[in-house]
Amino acid sequence: MKNQKIGRIVAAALTIGTMALVTACGGGSSTSSASTAAGGGAIAQEIKLGAVHDLTGPVAYAGVGAKNGAEIAIQEINDSAFLGQGVKVSIDEVDSAFEIERATSEMTKMMGNKDIVAIIGPAASQQAAAVAPLVERQKVPTVFTQAGSSGVVIGDYTFRGTAPMETYYHRAAEWMKAQGLTDTVIVYNAQFPTFAQLADTHFPPLAQQNGITISNKIAVQTNTQDFTGPAQQIAQANPKAVNVLLNAAQSVTFLNQLRQAGYTGQAVATSVQGAGNIAPAGDAAKGLVYPTDFSYAQTDPKAVAFAKAYQAKFNKLPDNYAAEGYDSIWWIARGIKASGDSSRQGIQKGLKQVAGEGFEGAMGKLTFEGNDMRVPGVMIKWDGTAETLAP
Amino acid sequence: MQDVLNAAQLGSVYLLFALGMALAWGTIGILNFAHGATFMFSAFVAHLVSQAFALPLPLALLISVLTGALISVATQVFAFQPIIHRSRNITTAETRILIGGIGVASIPLAIAQRMTHSAPFGINTTYQDVVWDLGLFRLSSTSLIVLIAGIGLGLGIIFWLRRSKQGLALRAIGVDSETAAGMGINQFFLSIGTMAVAGGLAGLAGALLTIQLRAIAPETGDQLIIKAFAIIVLGGLGSMTGAFIGSFILATVETLVLKANLGSWVDAVSFGLIFIVLLLRPQGILGRKEVRRT
Repeated sequence: MKNQKIGRIVAAALTIGTMALVTACGGGSSTSSASTAAGGGAIAQEIKLGAVHDLTGPVAYAGVGAKNGAEIAIQEINDSAFLGQGVKVSIDEVDSAFEIERATSEMTKMMGNKDIVAIIGPAASQQAAAVAPLVERQKVPTVFTQAGSSGVVIGDYTFRGTAPMETYYHRAAEWMKAQGLTDTVIVYNAQFPTFAQLADTHFPPLAQQNGITISNKIAVQTNTQDFTGPAQQIAQANPKAVNVLLNAAQSVTFLNQLRQAGYTGQAVATSVQGAGNIAPAGDAAKGLVYPTDFSYAQTDPKAVAFAKAYQAKFNKLPDNYAAEGYDSIWWIARGIKASGDSSRQGIQKGLKQVAGEGFEGAMGKLTFEGNDMRVPGVMIKWDGTAETLAP
Repeated sequence: MQDVLNAAQLGSVYLLFALGMALAWGTIGILNFAHGATFMFSAFVAHLVSQAFALPLPLALLISVLTGALISVATQVFAFQPIIHRSRNITTAETRILIGGIGVASIPLAIAQRMTHSAPFGINTTYQDVVWDLGLFRLSSTSLIVLIAGIGLGLGIIFWLRRSKQGLALRAIGVDSETAAGMGINQFFLSIGTMAVAGGLAGLAGALLTIQLRAIAPETGDQLIIKAFAIIVLGGLGSMTGAFIGSFILATVETLVLKANLGSWVDAVSFGLIFIVLLLRPQGILGRKEVRRT
């Protein structure tokens, strides 16, 4: 009886001791799960990122671009051993298909996966704003590309790798002043928040500062497809310029109808017309200018190198969405290097640290306002077949 | 004068799109919510072919018309007919057809979105648009084609429905399908034929509008569906003349609202007016008054 009792005590002690030993070994030997989950202050050998992109749906052109840019960045980071010898970054991508419910569900799954240490969030503002509170609650550093509306960058764990359009639209106003385009009409999609804010809030003071008179503002809706009336109105008024704040398909139609109405002045658009989206407009879009955060026409070394790498991999020139995805991944990588910690908390700290310093990316000298990226911006001219730097 | 022309042109755009939907709904009772996707995908097929070589205008239109007819016939045979056979009564069938149409529409939409990444697409054509400055107004050759096509086809279909035997048979199906079947009208073949024509009209509208607008997005068809629905209801269900008139009324209201620089109010004003008309005249402008037998 006594021996049985001693035996049970020894067995219990051995069990407890074994469990303690396994826990200690598991904590120390598996560097990736321990250092990523518990903020162990180390860079793991395998760093897994997540991405919820709109790869299908109405903004797929933005999601696919960001995905491709991210791939280039990850390849460079791994090939150059930027985070250390043998450290590999990988990315798990899912398609949110422009659905808020799917974006929320996929983000929740990713955040529940402890192996994923940072996420590239959805590009559509509605989805981004829906998942931002979840990101803050779960404390998973998430970098959004595009998603320019308010309610996206709301705390310590939400970051944005796309400068809001109004932060570089001053380039358009300055260019117009330099070209002597002192009066303009704005045609804008009033149901698209970025354009509505640009037309109503941001551009008027910029115009005033640059001596530009806004003689008329013509609002249209997202489902407006025929612009004959507004085009003729503008042709009759004949301002020196027209600021076109419309989505891609609308701007193709509008530019054609504007030229058909006999207007020969300068059209100034936005980065939405980039990525070749204006090509179907043909001759009507020749000479169109627009400010953008990135163009393959840029001549600085980082932009040139990125464009070359992109073309080699995808057999086409990169668009601004690709550059945003590329710089966002590099922001995360620099954050990991800065903090020396590839855990979620480490990446969050590192992102903030890098944001405080800024860095040189494909989009130029990147600075930050809080967690929000800022770019120098560049004025582009569409010559009918390709982007060139505006004079 | 220019505003009148602009309204007429816009009305022709809406009429071209709504004609096919009005024909199917007003005669064989099929409210086809896949009409927008048919319109878009027909143009998309023409776009794909035109990537290989620039299409002459008639060929672009033919490809689009045939694609539209094929899609609509396939939808009728594989989706709507089975729904009708499996439904207990007409009301149940109509609801299911509505849902079925939305479901069918998502397939060509997804294909086009996937292949274009939702970027706008046009049709590469040898046709060159010409603009005439006639002093009082400016008119492009494409707008003229759309005007002639819209008004010509609209009047042609109205005339055909009223004067031809097949038109009479279709109208009979629209009034009472069971009695019509009892009188020897082959509903199945007439339905297929009607859907083929409706789909062909959607395809024609798709190609013409894509060329006129220079580009459309995969979502363009969905945006036009609601307007077509409103036009048919405003004009009166079952009345092609009503749909004809409704198209131009809606276009005129929209043109005037845009001219008044109230562009963001276009839908609110247009649909608000439709609502008021329906309050005063629930059957629409030229629709049949509902008769309930006691």
